[in-house]
Amino acid sequence: MNNSLKRMIEGMAATLRNEVIPHIGTEFARGQAFGVIYMLNSIGLRAAWSPAFVGEQIAAQIALRDALAPLLAGIDAPALPREGSPGLDVQALESLRDDNEGRICALVEWHGSANLDAQRAAAIELQFRTYMDRQLKHELQTSAKPMFAEMSSGSE
Amino acid sequence: MSAAAAQVADPLSDEAYIHARLADYLQAQTSRRWTLGAFTRYAVGFSWITYGFTAKEEGVEGERGLILRLGPPYGLFAPYSALPQHAALKALEATNVPVPCSYWWSDDASILGAPFFVSERVAGSAPVPWVSGSNSGFEEGYRLGIGAQFVRALAGLHTAEWRGKPGFEHDGGVTRENAALRQVEEWERNFARWTLKPYPMLTWAFRWLRQNLPVAPRVSLVHGDYRLGNFLEHDGRITAILDWELVHLGDPHEDLGWAFLPQYTGGSGLICRLLAKEDFIARYEREAGFNVDPASLQFYLVFSLVKLAVTHMAAVRCYEDGRFNDMRMPAMGTQIAPVLRQISKMLPAAEVS
Repeated sequence: MNNSLKRMIEGMAATLRNEVIPHIGTEFARGQAFGVIYMLNSIGLRAAWSPAFVGEQIAAQIALRDALAPLLAGIDAPALPREGSPGLDVQALESLRDDNEGRICALVEWHGSANLDAQRAAAIELQFRTYMDRQLKHELQTSAKPMFAEMSSGSE
Repeated sequence: MSAAAAQVADPLSDEAYIHARLADYLQAQTSRRWTLGAFTRYAVGFSWITYGFTAKEEGVEGERGLILRLGPPYGLFAPYSALPQHAALKALEATNVPVPCSYWWSDDASILGAPFFVSERVAGSAPVPWVSGSNSGFEEGYRLGIGAQFVRALAGLHTAEWRGKPGFEHDGGVTRENAALRQVEEWERNFARWTLKPYPMLTWAFRWLRQNLPVAPRVSLVHGDYRLGNFLEHDGRITAILDWELVHLGDPHEDLGWAFLPQYTGGSGLICRLLAKEDFIARYEREAGFNVDPASLQFYLVFSLVKLAVTHMAAVRCYEDGRFNDMRMPAMGTQIAPVLRQISKMLPAAEVS
């Protein structure tokens, strides 16, 4: 999921209120839809994206750091990803993850122009690709089955 | 501004407002009174707002169907200019590319509140790439017939003469040598503008693109979103190629790369659910008169995936900023990871000895 939970809930409630409820034909069904809005707003006050999801992303970043550290020993390269202090809330974890992603982007850019011997460059590249594949696999494993045909046609 | 506030305050969604101002504009352009019928707003896309209506011009027999397209300041690719679309449609009149006639355009936001153009309304419906599991695909004769027309129109676009035509007086300095770099730079800017967070895979992909820039076989008009879903069909005939908002000058391989995206196969394994890849390329080469370069096609396939990922990021950004509540936008965001995965599979793997 790429949007914030707060904005997802706000947008879902607005869509139900403005686009769905005016077209519902029965009082009971409209009442159910308002119930969904109410519960969405209630969820919004207490819920957050899963720390376990972000935790795995940060674990992958730390694994990359550990794999790169010996390959970059003695080389003037951009900073490696960093570990967070224990007990961070999910917002702080998300900030840490994004900061680490920025560091990895800087490393990728640097790697493209650094004067490295071919073997070391290839070994670093392998670590980047392993890392990126791990992150994408995690993201895909935690995604729901797409429903674009249903969203396009309006029927299941 | 909240999404609700944006929607309430948006004059471009006020059909009565647009209706009255457009009638005045048409009268000023033609020195005749115009009577406009009710507007129908088409629920397509996230960028240009599209209205269809009938129009009666004083002193002219009968009514005609027209389309008004407005580029709102909050759209996905804003700020907009209507000139590139109008100029491309005019340049393609009387070619073998089926396009609606474009009649009027302006970038002056004081007229209707946003850049706009008015074009002919063409009959037909738009087949879409997204199919449910039970869909068995197009009937063989239909898909081959539409496929042949789809390729012919693309080749016609890429061989159409744009030099010296109105609207192309300043070609922006696009050359065979810099066409690819121009596009990479443009989408790097878009990425920087829209993304909510860094993406190492995209950084990697942009790096690869910069290292593998091809030279274009010619500088052509490029549609920029040439695919199933962006043409109208009626009785087995393509009646109009639509959605020209990304039109620009560039390498013709760019449109091939976009049309060849796996996202548009509908699970059929066919390019845009129409033709096998080899058949598509063979037909295109015959129609266009030049060969498709495999390395260029590979480059533009990767570029197209990058462009698609960045477009998804734009949708996420627009939704996050509260410009839209359309649930298709966060749903597009869920497709960033699958697209990045496709990029990863397409780029050469690291070789460690």
